[in-house]
Amino acid sequence: MTTRGRSGLAESLEPCRPMPPDKPNILKALLAVQSALGHVPTSAISQIARVLGVSDAQVSGVLSYYSDLRIQSAGRHLIRVCMGESCMANHGGRVLRTIQDHLRVSVGDHEPERRFTLEQMSCAGNCAVSPTVMVDEDLHGKVTPSDVPSLLEPYR
Amino acid sequence: MKTTRLYLSNDTSSLAAGAGRLADAWRERPEIQLIRTSSRGAFFLEPMVERDMPAGREAWFNVTSDDLPRIVGGIGGTPVTEIPFLEQQTRVIFANFGITEPLALDEYQMRGGLKGLAEARRLSPETIIEELRLSRLRGRGGAAFPVWKKWQVAQQTGAEQKYVVANADEGDAGTYCDRMIMEGDPFRLIEGMLICARAIGATRGYIYCRYEYPAAARAMKFAIQKALEAGLLDFDDYPFDLEVVVGAGSYVCGEETALLESLEGRRGVVLAKPPYPAESGLHGKPTIVSNVLTFAAIPNILANGGAWHASLGTEGSRGTMVLQIGGRVRQPGLVEVPFGLPLRDVLDRFGGGMAPGARFKAVQVGGPLGSLFPESQLDIPICYDAFAEAGAILGHGGIVVYDRETNMVELARHFMAFTADESCGKCTPCRVGSVRGREILERIQSGQGAAEDLMLLSDLGETMKTASLCALGGRAPYPVETAIKHFGEEFRQGVKFTRPA
Repeated sequence: MTTRGRSGLAESLEPCRPMPPDKPNILKALLAVQSALGHVPTSAISQIARVLGVSDAQVSGVLSYYSDLRIQSAGRHLIRVCMGESCMANHGGRVLRTIQDHLRVSVGDHEPERRFTLEQMSCAGNCAVSPTVMVDEDLHGKVTPSDVPSLLEPYR
Repeated sequence: MKTTRLYLSNDTSSLAAGAGRLADAWRERPEIQLIRTSSRGAFFLEPMVERDMPAGREAWFNVTSDDLPRIVGGIGGTPVTEIPFLEQQTRVIFANFGITEPLALDEYQMRGGLKGLAEARRLSPETIIEELRLSRLRGRGGAAFPVWKKWQVAQQTGAEQKYVVANADEGDAGTYCDRMIMEGDPFRLIEGMLICARAIGATRGYIYCRYEYPAAARAMKFAIQKALEAGLLDFDDYPFDLEVVVGAGSYVCGEETALLESLEGRRGVVLAKPPYPAESGLHGKPTIVSNVLTFAAIPNILANGGAWHASLGTEGSRGTMVLQIGGRVRQPGLVEVPFGLPLRDVLDRFGGGMAPGARFKAVQVGGPLGSLFPESQLDIPICYDAFAEAGAILGHGGIVVYDRETNMVELARHFMAFTADESCGKCTPCRVGSVRGREILERIQSGQGAAEDLMLLSDLGETMKTASLCALGGRAPYPVETAIKHFGEEFRQGVKFTRPA
């Protein structure tokens, strides 16, 4: 971890330090760290545990449980292709395969230049305008395989 | 120059349908004033632009930026009251949608908002709960438990601190009405939660919102701030603290005990019940956990009376059901109707039949744990009793239509893989059963199924249904079994039957 990463970590943890009688909230702390650093490095587990007054194992347990907590930084842009039932019914699987081919990247991975990380999601709540592709916080609806290059183009 | 007020939805799905591009294109146009509203839920017509005309609102459908002169000229609009998709609905919970600006508290109030809360402030906790008993409202999150019973338990359990928690972890794929409420009518959720707090004597509330809904979380935080400034969160003798908490991607956190574990910052693991959260929930205190839609149904009940609510719907299912139609239909969108309409009518009258070029294969009701219905079973009425009798669930009202191109073995595998991914791991039938189920379906999918695999899958399903701790493991077999029951040939093709010598 860089010096900047370390100070970012300490700063993000400070508001999560438990004030008795409140009990420590591990998930809240991990989300705060992720929001500051972009991910929760496993090397930070001990420091998080110390600040919260819990065991390393408890922190690891929560970190590994939630799919939106990441232990590696994503690419500059995160693509999440919805695989909910409405998107599946509208053949979102074809969109996912097109993105994989277009970027030459598999699900859960990023390109060598780290522009995009590709993930699946189980529902974006955009079922009436499906299939859905989410890039960062932008939701794109009724996406067809041929839309893929122009959809990804603006994200640099 | 006279400016024309135009209404355009700011809902996430409207933006995905192109409303955001329109707003960008029209931002600098001096001849119009753009008001950003919630969505009417007729997403197949979006982006939809409305304006006031002498006889009421008129709408223009699937608008592109070039349509502006027509709209400003008042040419070719359709009166909103003549849109069949909307005109045939009974909008009670979704009465404000498409009309108001979501974060304008005065508009909410002008359209009847806060009347229920005013009534609740006047009544005793017992009388509020009695009104809910009369309303016969059942929880809309999936389990359909009578709301008043939960409230009564929490009210009668003595504790110095009690909690109200809105379950906004809308994880069922195919559903989005909670997201729409939070983005489009956030004060309705706040009002419902305040009425509950008043009834049970709670001092703190949380809205547990899923990570995938950033716009909903933002709208709720803003609305809470406005409610606070307006003094709405103050009861006579104490203030009510309300906070939005964002989850981190776990389907099972929609189960109430797992949700409370997550709210306390731990792994979102399901706990055995009893104790029920109404007696011992968050931090061991009495806690009402209800779905967003359930809370949103409550203001009207207090404002209009429990008997009014009970007058809608069928014997065991009172009030309106909010259905969300998606998949391969012509008219996907949100539909609010009294309980009792047959599924076929929902698909024909509102869904508008199949999308161009698509042919019907099956419809799934109730999210990823819901059963599949073939063409021959579409006459089932939308109500809790008929669905329970058929071994199915209404769940949170998700309806997804699949076309003939859908491979049922792949779909069944998808459901089991979903459960395997999302299982919290607490109970063995779900943790291990879902993985074994997925493996069997993968074998069948690759044509390597053994003769006994379908039997094995059926036995496994029985075990999961009987012995799982929550509905994730307990309901996961249903979509798979209904797929096999109605489309068995597709599964048998993947099984190498051993023939007698």
